[in-house]
Amino acid sequence: MISLTDIPLVSSERWKFTDLHKALKKKTLTPTVMGWGRGVVPLLTHAPGHERYGDTSLWDLNTAQTQDIKFISGSTDVNIHAVDGQMLTPRIIIHVKTGDTLTVNEFLGGTGSYWKNMVVQVHVEPGGHLYHHRIITESAEGIATIFTHVVLERDARYDAACVMMGAGMVRNQIHAEIKGSGAQCALNGVHLLAGEQHGDTTITIEHQAPHTQSHQTYKNVLTGSSRGVFQGKVHVHQAAQKTDGYQLSNTLMLSPYAEMDTKPELEIYADDVKCSHGATTGKLDENALFYLRARGIPLAQARSLLTMAFVSEVIDRIPAEDMRQSLLSDISQWLSDHV
Amino acid sequence: MISIKNLHARIGDTEILRGLDLEIGVGQVHAIMGPNGAGKSTLSYVLAGREGYEVTQGDILLNGESILDLSPEDRAAKGIFLAFQYPVEIPGVQMTTFLKTAVNAVRTARGEPELNAIDFLKMMKSKAQDLGMSDDMMKRAVNAGFSGGEKKRSEILQMAMLSPSFAVLDETDSGLDIDALKIVADGVNKLRAAHRSFLVITHYQRLLDYIKPDVVHVLAKGRIVKTGGADLAQTLEKSGYADILKDVA
Ligand SMILES: Nc1ncnc2c1ncn2[C@@H]1O[C@H](COP(=O)(O)OP(=O)(O)O)[C@@H](O)[C@H]1O
Ligand SMILES: [Mg+2]
Repeated sequence: MISLTDIPLVSSERWKFTDLHKALKKKTLTPTVMGWGRGVVPLLTHAPGHERYGDTSLWDLNTAQTQDIKFISGSTDVNIHAVDGQMLTPRIIIHVKTGDTLTVNEFLGGTGSYWKNMVVQVHVEPGGHLYHHRIITESAEGIATIFTHVVLERDARYDAACVMMGAGMVRNQIHAEIKGSGAQCALNGVHLLAGEQHGDTTITIEHQAPHTQSHQTYKNVLTGSSRGVFQGKVHVHQAAQKTDGYQLSNTLMLSPYAEMDTKPELEIYADDVKCSHGATTGKLDENALFYLRARGIPLAQARSLLTMAFVSEVIDRIPAEDMRQSLLSDISQWLSDHV
Repeated sequence: MISIKNLHARIGDTEILRGLDLEIGVGQVHAIMGPNGAGKSTLSYVLAGREGYEVTQGDILLNGESILDLSPEDRAAKGIFLAFQYPVEIPGVQMTTFLKTAVNAVRTARGEPELNAIDFLKMMKSKAQDLGMSDDMMKRAVNAGFSGGEKKRSEILQMAMLSPSFAVLDETDSGLDIDALKIVADGVNKLRAAHRSFLVITHYQRLLDYIKPDVVHVLAKGRIVKTGGADLAQTLEKSGYADILKDVA
């Protein structure tokens, strides 16, 4: 059994839309070791920035429990597959050395009822570049809480894409600290939610140095009575002049029973910055649907085609051809099952 | 081929078509002319099966069978094609993907085998070339950023690809300069065939100089108020609609 005393409550500001407490209460789980080993890397005990953002309990739980630590400094795939009854506590530390370019692909899935409480720490040294892909296909009863912390040094680049195609409840939390001038952080996501699924992406980006960029583009597709959450905060420190910060969340509601909560936030303390955010929620374009059908394309296929067009902007940005193709085919499959 | 009988249709609470009768035989080209707001586009949408256009009376028969209960895609499979007055832009869907999906959906519904990628591309390229459409346009999103004339050519290309048995062209001439008009008319004339009928909707007689109709109708206030030969179009061009409309209640 796991103790729920330290699990964040919906009364805390950044957990308003995701009731982890309630979701965990029904579960009987056993902490399980995957066998990665602990290694010799010292762990950060609290989530960086927790004094400011007050969000460290799941991180602390991971630090206290983890027996599975993976240290990554070269391109690799990571598979984390949970089975019924497990509580997994993976810790991943990705280190990109000066001038290196790495691709790390995470595949997160499982069967039955379980909880993954995962922490991923990313450090990109000057001029380094990380492509970080996260493919989430959790089971309908699986819970995954993922806390990714990113530090970018001078001229570092971080290109992340997260594609969520399965979830019981997923909390994908990202905190990026852009510490070096010239660094760029791009966060992209596609969330496909069906049934009773709950997908929460909560982002904090701190621009701490001048001439830095952050771009967030998230595409949410909601069917059934699923619920999506997007909270994105861009915090521009006083020193971070010439920041370019952009945040966009577009949601396609394919069912009247689905729900989307979007909360963009800008906190700006520098005066010479360019920041924007936008959020839209809409349905499929009726004119476009009729046009396709008038050309003989059956309704379901027309809906799929338009939904694919909606998410493809994000997928098209993934540079690796094989990853892109395999995602497109997985997404087509999802669409033919759910749209 | 197509027979429209006492057709009444409304959008919301407004009755737009009020007892429209029209018979188009196999291989014939009919033109419908009429003032703005007469109900020409409404008729085209009702034929194509658009939601929100409710038929309250009458019937539309294609080769003797009512199509009123058919979805737009089923009508397309049966050979009905509508070239839109305002073609829709679809960002994110490539022209080529769109055409291939449409062609193969229609072929499947008609019990024909799907085209493989090579045969499809060959067919698309040759038809696009006839209409002066570049390979680059086929790589762009459907109608996205196309000029007015390019959009109309795109409609004719789609028609050529889907080889319908009954095609409705809704003001395909609007917004075209004379060169583009000729290209579009050539595209249509190439498709004229003994087994294919056309309904050419236009506001101006100009298009009918290039696509010669067998029969010309005047649509006003939701009904056909006059029918004649190709010369009726010329008369209308000179005298305008005012004379005819005077007599319509
Ligand atoms: N979506 C709509 N809702 C209500 N009235 C409409 C709609 N579309 C067209 N109408 C009305 O129907 C009439 C016929 O329009 P339309 O068929 O577009 O005419 P035409 O194509 O002959 O110019 C017009 O009075 C127009 O205002
Ligand atoms: Mg019109």
